[in-house]
Amino acid sequence: MKHFSAAAFAASLPPSGLTWALPEGQSIEFPGKDGLILRSYRFIDLETPAEYFNTWLTPVPHFFVRNHMHEPSQLEAKEWRVSIGGEVEKPVTLSLAELSKIETHSVVNTLECAGNGRSLHRPQVPGVQWGKGAVGTARFSGARLRDVLQRAGVKPSGKHVMFRGLDEVPGNVPPFIRSIPIEKALDSDTLVATHMNGSPLTKHHGFPARALVPGWIGAASCKWLTEIKVLDSEFVGNFMSPGYRLPNQPVKPGDAVKPEDTHPVTALNVKSVISGPFDGANVKSGKLSVHGAAWGGEADIAKVEISTDGGASWNLAKLGRDQARYAWRLWSFDWKTTKPGDYEILSRATDTLGRTQPATPVWNPSGYLYNAVDQVRIHVA
Amino acid sequence: MGSRAQKPGAPNVTADLPAGPMQAKATTACLECHEARIILQQRLSKAAWAKEVDKMTKWGAVVDPADQDALIDYLSSNFSPDKPAFDAQRTSSGKRGK
Repeated sequence: MKHFSAAAFAASLPPSGLTWALPEGQSIEFPGKDGLILRSYRFIDLETPAEYFNTWLTPVPHFFVRNHMHEPSQLEAKEWRVSIGGEVEKPVTLSLAELSKIETHSVVNTLECAGNGRSLHRPQVPGVQWGKGAVGTARFSGARLRDVLQRAGVKPSGKHVMFRGLDEVPGNVPPFIRSIPIEKALDSDTLVATHMNGSPLTKHHGFPARALVPGWIGAASCKWLTEIKVLDSEFVGNFMSPGYRLPNQPVKPGDAVKPEDTHPVTALNVKSVISGPFDGANVKSGKLSVHGAAWGGEADIAKVEISTDGGASWNLAKLGRDQARYAWRLWSFDWKTTKPGDYEILSRATDTLGRTQPATPVWNPSGYLYNAVDQVRIHVA
Repeated sequence: MGSRAQKPGAPNVTADLPAGPMQAKATTACLECHEARIILQQRLSKAAWAKEVDKMTKWGAVVDPADQDALIDYLSSNFSPDKPAFDAQRTSSGKRGK
């Protein structure tokens, strides 16, 4: 495993005015992961603080980790195999060496957990209580899933592609198996990824190979991939239903929702996050840079607007130069503060599908796809 | 909120469930599969906790039916919606500055 460059790491740290480093004894040692918010170490759930979202690519030591289950206890690259079967002409099995011989493709993808922002819903819902940071952007590379499937030959009866990983499941918990529609599976940007930001995937991010379904919720991008199975219909299992589903119509807390009145969560929503100033900051009057990131799943960002008066008026932010399909845009807005006092800064993104972040969150029983306008409160001295 | 062992530099610092008559039974039932923070961060109504306990027992948590109501009371009184948010710690890779 390549060690992360100290120089690159230092360059990615937030500006020195921000104190995220906690005194000895309050932080928890976690090899390879620096300054992340510990939601849980068993199962591993680590969140990126919003102030880190100031680089286009998120360095791996800052990238969030979400595991539903336990990581594989035994994993040898030489022994690892992925099988491709189901509705195919001829099932095949590939080793890592054989997979590496297939032409690779690269996708810069913003990967976001379906439950990112869950803790902000009211009333609160069960699940990992993510804040704003179960999201990150990295360059993923590997064989196109389409080319891997072609080795086996997909039959016309193939309608869904199921992924199974090597994660280990406690008790009677159903295995974390999900499927994606064949159209998305055959899309030229859907990968069997082996590399992240130029290095082999680390164990927390799915070594040696994972599905990479760009612009979709992280749950579609199965880690520690070991089986790809073409099905004639959507996979039937807990993590396809009732897991990862949204009510077709808005519901109120307490409403009963029938499974047939729901649809699967697939592509990400339009969203923005403010990475600076941070919530609760005390700043000097003068020029203040408001900055962050914005994304839209399979859509591009059309604009980001910033309000410094709690939503009464909006200003256009400048979008960053780096861009790629499925990747977030960095944005910035220079604000000349004049009057001292307490201020509420809001960010609101609009994407090329015409979707805009709502002022109030769209509540749902699982707390998925929170995307209300982002908000920080600061004091200007 | 539960006490947290905080040994400087200790890896995977254990968090405990809160003190109370059900602490030991909740620890045995729940922490077999996952750590306490999964529970400590929740803020749910009693009805929502009852649903979660039901789901967890179906998924393998061993809870004596005679203890079920007391367990739901323990969780819903300690982790009700009005409680302040759980104060999460940060990780350190131990390699800063190298």
